[in-house]
Amino acid sequence: MGQKQYWKGLEELQDSAANQEKLANEFNEPLAFDMSESLLNATTPRRDFLKFLGFSTLAATLAASCEMPVRKAIPYAIKPEDIVPGVPNYYASTFNDGGDYCAVVIKTRDGRPIKIEGNELSSVTRGATSARVQGSVLNLYDTARLRHPHADGKEATYEAIDRQVQEMLAGNASKPVYLLTGSILSPTTKDIISQFTAKYPNAKHVVYDPISYSGMLLANEASYGKRALPSYHFDKAQTIVSIGADFLGTWLSPAEFAKQYAAGRRVSAKNAKMSKHYQVEAMHTITGASSDERATCKPSEMGAVAVALYNAVVNGTQPAMSPKLNSLIMKAAADLKKGNGMVVSGSNDVAVQTVVNAINDKIGANGSTINWAVSSNYRQGIDADMVALTEAMNAGSVGAVLIHGVNPVYEYHDSKKFAEGLAKVPLTVSFADRMDETAQKCKFVTPDHNYLESWGDAEPKTGYFSLQQPGIAPLFKTRAFQDSLLMWAGATTTYGDYWKNYWMTKMGSQENFDRALQIGIVEPSGEMAMGGAAFAGNVADAMAKIQAKKSSDIELVVYQKVGIGHGGAWSNNPWLQEMPDPITKATWDNYACVSPERAKQLGADLTGQNEVVTAKHVARIKVAGQPDLMLPIVVVPGMHNNVVAVAVGYGRDKKVGMAAASSDEAGNKKGGKNAYPYTTYNGQTFEYSNAATIEKTDETYDVAITQTHHSYEHRPVVREYTLEEFSKDPEVLLKERKEELKEFVALPWQEGAEEKVEEMSAEELEKNFRINGTLYPQYEHPGIHWGMSIDLNSCVGCGACTIACQAENNVSVVGKTHVLKVHEMHWLRIDRYFSGNPADPDSIQTVFQPMLCQHCDNAPCENVCPVDATNHSSEGINQMVYNRCIGTKYCANNCPYKVRRFNWLDWNGADCFDDNLYEDYRRDGMNDDLTRMVLNPDVTVRSRGVMEKCSFCVQRLQDAKLAAKKLNRPVMDGEARTACQQSCPTNAITFGNMNDKASALYKTRREEQAERTFYVLEDIHTLPNVNYLAKVRNTEEIVAKGKDDILAEKHI
Amino acid sequence: MHIKYESIVREPLVDGDKDYHQVTEDIISPIERKPGRMWYVGFFFSVALLLYGVFCVTWEVYWGIGTWGINRTIGWGWDITNFVWWIGIGHAGTLISAILLLFRQGWRTGVNRAAEAMTIFAVMCAGQFPIFHMGRVWDGFFVLPYPNSRGPLWPNFNSALLWDVFAISTYFTVSLLFWYSGLIPDFATIRDRAKTKLRKLLYGVASFGWTGTAKNWQRHEALALVLAGLSTPLVLSVHTIVSFDFATSVIPGWHTTIFPPYFVAGAIFSGFAMVNTLLVLSRKILHLEDYITIGHLEAMNKVIVLTGSIVGTAYLTELFMSWYSANQYEGAAFKWRIAGPYWWSYWAMMTCNVVSPQLFWFKKLRRNIPFTFIMSIVVNIGMWFERFVIITTSLYRDYLPSSWSYYSPTWTEVGFYLGTFGLFFTCYFLFAKYFPIVAVAEIKHILKTSGEGQKKRMAAIEEKSTEEFVHEQEAAHAH
Repeated sequence: MGQKQYWKGLEELQDSAANQEKLANEFNEPLAFDMSESLLNATTPRRDFLKFLGFSTLAATLAASCEMPVRKAIPYAIKPEDIVPGVPNYYASTFNDGGDYCAVVIKTRDGRPIKIEGNELSSVTRGATSARVQGSVLNLYDTARLRHPHADGKEATYEAIDRQVQEMLAGNASKPVYLLTGSILSPTTKDIISQFTAKYPNAKHVVYDPISYSGMLLANEASYGKRALPSYHFDKAQTIVSIGADFLGTWLSPAEFAKQYAAGRRVSAKNAKMSKHYQVEAMHTITGASSDERATCKPSEMGAVAVALYNAVVNGTQPAMSPKLNSLIMKAAADLKKGNGMVVSGSNDVAVQTVVNAINDKIGANGSTINWAVSSNYRQGIDADMVALTEAMNAGSVGAVLIHGVNPVYEYHDSKKFAEGLAKVPLTVSFADRMDETAQKCKFVTPDHNYLESWGDAEPKTGYFSLQQPGIAPLFKTRAFQDSLLMWAGATTTYGDYWKNYWMTKMGSQENFDRALQIGIVEPSGEMAMGGAAFAGNVADAMAKIQAKKSSDIELVVYQKVGIGHGGAWSNNPWLQEMPDPITKATWDNYACVSPERAKQLGADLTGQNEVVTAKHVARIKVAGQPDLMLPIVVVPGMHNNVVAVAVGYGRDKKVGMAAASSDEAGNKKGGKNAYPYTTYNGQTFEYSNAATIEKTDETYDVAITQTHHSYEHRPVVREYTLEEFSKDPEVLLKERKEELKEFVALPWQEGAEEKVEEMSAEELEKNFRINGTLYPQYEHPGIHWGMSIDLNSCVGCGACTIACQAENNVSVVGKTHVLKVHEMHWLRIDRYFSGNPADPDSIQTVFQPMLCQHCDNAPCENVCPVDATNHSSEGINQMVYNRCIGTKYCANNCPYKVRRFNWLDWNGADCFDDNLYEDYRRDGMNDDLTRMVLNPDVTVRSRGVMEKCSFCVQRLQDAKLAAKKLNRPVMDGEARTACQQSCPTNAITFGNMNDKASALYKTRREEQAERTFYVLEDIHTLPNVNYLAKVRNTEEIVAKGKDDILAEKHI
Repeated sequence: MHIKYESIVREPLVDGDKDYHQVTEDIISPIERKPGRMWYVGFFFSVALLLYGVFCVTWEVYWGIGTWGINRTIGWGWDITNFVWWIGIGHAGTLISAILLLFRQGWRTGVNRAAEAMTIFAVMCAGQFPIFHMGRVWDGFFVLPYPNSRGPLWPNFNSALLWDVFAISTYFTVSLLFWYSGLIPDFATIRDRAKTKLRKLLYGVASFGWTGTAKNWQRHEALALVLAGLSTPLVLSVHTIVSFDFATSVIPGWHTTIFPPYFVAGAIFSGFAMVNTLLVLSRKILHLEDYITIGHLEAMNKVIVLTGSIVGTAYLTELFMSWYSANQYEGAAFKWRIAGPYWWSYWAMMTCNVVSPQLFWFKKLRRNIPFTFIMSIVVNIGMWFERFVIITTSLYRDYLPSSWSYYSPTWTEVGFYLGTFGLFFTCYFLFAKYFPIVAVAEIKHILKTSGEGQKKRMAAIEEKSTEEFVHEQEAAHAH
């Protein structure tokens, strides 16, 4: 048995030599390491072994004992259907704030809204946004928002509140219930309000607008029989006369109007035509800055200006006002009579608006530029109703007041009276999102959702709807205003269902509904219908009233800032607080704007020397019947000499939020003063101006102003031409550029170099300058070469781009103290330059120039960085490598455009030091965990000590390139858009690939606008990838070019 | 011994009739004694200042550069002003030790040791500023060209700031070597005189086993010459390269080809002034009036009036060029320097640097010690303002008027500057206590040619007629 052999095959049985060899070589492959003698025989001496043991133990101990930071990242246990981590979702929705309207698209990342874009499908706003719309996403994460309902200032439940409110509403049947709201655009909300008022028969709905357009509504009612606002078509107007209406900044629907306005201002060599814009105003607005002819008058004279214009239009009567006004009115009248004119007025006075209506009627504006077929619903408040409500409350005849969307204790001209009245009302409910001044005085507060958490709709213009859908589930225990009303009206449906039913019915099918929700708008097809209206107003009576109007030596204008608006939640938005006001460039405060002449009398003369002093003289503004208003003086060239202007939205209560608070924890006074008490009621409407006197005091107050110099000093930084100059010789700019560059476009020893320059096209000029303006060799730029073109004619300085950039790129807010130290971080700023005679406000011309990293192909910043932290990409982008940056600031010094921003302190907790976060109280909300949800995850939050600057939104460019790559094609024009470009209401910014001859950028720079193209500081051979299009003003003289530019002569 | 005939018309470089032992006694004995009360007061004041500086820098590193006043427009303020100022001061030492050695200027022996020490300390102070002006100082090693695992990623050799790193570290190394090699024979002297064990040990180690043999001396002299040869170009190159920080930029007021010579002249100007400040104090406190004579101070003052005039010419040339270039930015930059909100800094510079040194044309003033002392301070104030003017008043109003701004330092910035004074004087006080403040060996070197005693002995010979002298010599040497 033991001898028994088993074999696996014949080969083995036979055991041939070949088989033996095969077996021997079965595992023939050499081992991966050297099995030499020395290795096999090596001994590990005990000492070596102990050494290795000791080392590895120590290494393991060290590695294991290093404290690893705990990072909180909670993955989805079950992935929601619509959310792919890292991929944004977009939802069409509607922005609405007391009648301020914008069709928007909400960008959400991982379930949270991080950016608002304009909805380009809307024929109302057409993708335009404003700084406030851009900043609205921050309001969602406002730490001051109420997190639960309140009863008597304490936390309560909705059940308890509902029970009490219903009881009190039922028990108070004898006295009327008032629903006090701002202008409501939502048709479903209006339905629900009527359901509510139907349930309580003596209920009344009072609409109140803090910045009221009652004068217009009433005048239109008298003139045209419609208590409505028309639709304006600034794009169709060839002559625009604005009497105190800041329609590009704050008047009615500025983003919409800016979009239209810019369409009429786009000049090119081939089409050298543009609208003519006359502006008469008391203070200096961005609308005045964009205008072609501008004159100032006191607010009380606005009516007289309207009358003078009427007379000039109708009878050709020469007005007897200031010389500039006289000539402006005569010219405007002549132009208006040519047709396609339009007159708008910012006055809230019925008589003034009646005269304006009369002029529009005479010049045939109704039906051509002013559309009565489609009326606007932006404002519906009637001031007298609000006054009557206040009276009724004080008389004790009001059973309940439910307040939504307005804050009369802060905004009403006689807020004391309102507050006293409110105390006499048994049931007071506020729907405010925060404990604002009014909510504090209400018995119940049932906070409404933020608009980004809400379902809803809006009808900004009759027949033009837009839908609102939430971008996030409610963050807090808030409840839709409509749900509260439905509940108290005893209805059983929720607003969500009601809303869905309403729109399902209206749309007809689920498919149509889904489609509408997706695109966000429901609009009639085709062009907007146009229609006029027959004027039936009493002009003579209006004129008589205007004539009776008293004026005083000095008048106070209460105005809205472009960023802060009427106040509300905006006062507590650090982005908007830190957004430099387009005209004054001041942040975080309100102040008394006065003209340079007036300032001189107040001992606050502005000179080129003292412009750097941050401590501004405080003026005492005295208004009869009100406490003195003590505010620092900010000198604004272009203000009427007898006018002082103060913005609303400041002087807020501490509970409105830290950024808004007029005093900090320690009780230090900050954040300006409330200007609303200085508005008045004239028996019919609110007036936003008042007689005042102004005195100097010895006090000073620091105002954080980001741009202190006013003139551009005749430097080729901004290029301005009159329309006449430009149309006569479209090459006027090119000739100037040639004159500057001629020495550098050809080598000195080339023959006939000088003559050659004359013949060069703009492209050849640039090419030759690029090559011959340096000793160094050239880089090739194959593939993509990103570039940007900014049209100075379209730019109205509104600041939407600044805030869009801040939201997109996680740009830090530094707070007032550090704005004072010139440490602000904005990647994109808007430079504002005045020219003219400071003593003559009518001579001032103002230009805006958005300034961002110019992405120079020969960038001075790049070669000075000792560690190569800033360098050039192959696509022409000057890029920052944050984690390589050691913060020498050499690059910032060497940047001729001063666009580099340094992280001076730990603004956002991103550095590696503990407990060194910068805190100043007012901006601290930015670093709350809640607020940090607004950060864009695609963009690094920069740590303290590194430089940063505009990246051309490189994350968007990468995204576009990757999307194109997945489709296996190059990125197409328009797929990559920067945040500033997308936000711009006037399409002033064109962005694209300069190497793509079909791109809009190439066409703008090389074809359509080649004549207007220039580069800032071109002669220093930085070779920027950002170009500007020259400003063309439809006027007779560019002040900055002549000897009349006293600001430049005196270097102010 | 040094074979050189020196006319008795020349002022003696060592006053008093001293022999070699007396020289050693005079200079070394303060080291062996306990320092005086003034020394303690000064030393502790310096250390306090240094600690305050450390506190301010810690504060800045912890909270960020935002604790300083520099801003978006003016990215460099007191930090780089102080850096250039200290580096400038650090020039005198090497100039005196190297260039004057090569030119065989005997008078340098009295001042070179202190000047070289001052150089070392000033460069140490200067170095603090570029280090701590970095936003992320803990990543500062990125500037060093070392192989790394990031690619490897090298620094940007195009950057003038990187050139600074090399220029200053080289300068510091060479200056330190020079200074130390000069100290070796003197350390050996102290060692040989030492009465305590510790002193013997420490100075013994420090003197590298110097025995004073002919071979020792020969090698020492050779090393001195080699180092002098090495540092001579460095004297010119360091401030040239520092000036490149500005000259290679595009900022009007910085972008100037005149900067290298202008900076070097300014550096020598301020360095000599600083040496004067220290010498006037040291000779008084350490009783070294015989070694650091009025003649020395006068020689220094002559260099000050020369370099001051060069600097003044440079200022005027700059003004001329800003007009002649017909470049509007250049013109405006200088206009704003002279008449902008910072006008006072320009005029402080002009007064201190251009006008006041001209007083040194008067011999009486050159030889007036209180006046020399005051002038040495004034010149350094002026030179500080020069750097402030160049840096801040070029940046504050450059190309785009929209970004024009203003800047004032904060307490942390001022504290940092004061702290470097603390560092400087702490080092200097330690130096004055433990190191021979005048080069003993070198003084002995010239004692027999330029000492007052020698001059007196020579006077008798000088009075003889040539024939008499020749006759005597022949008689003496007749075999």
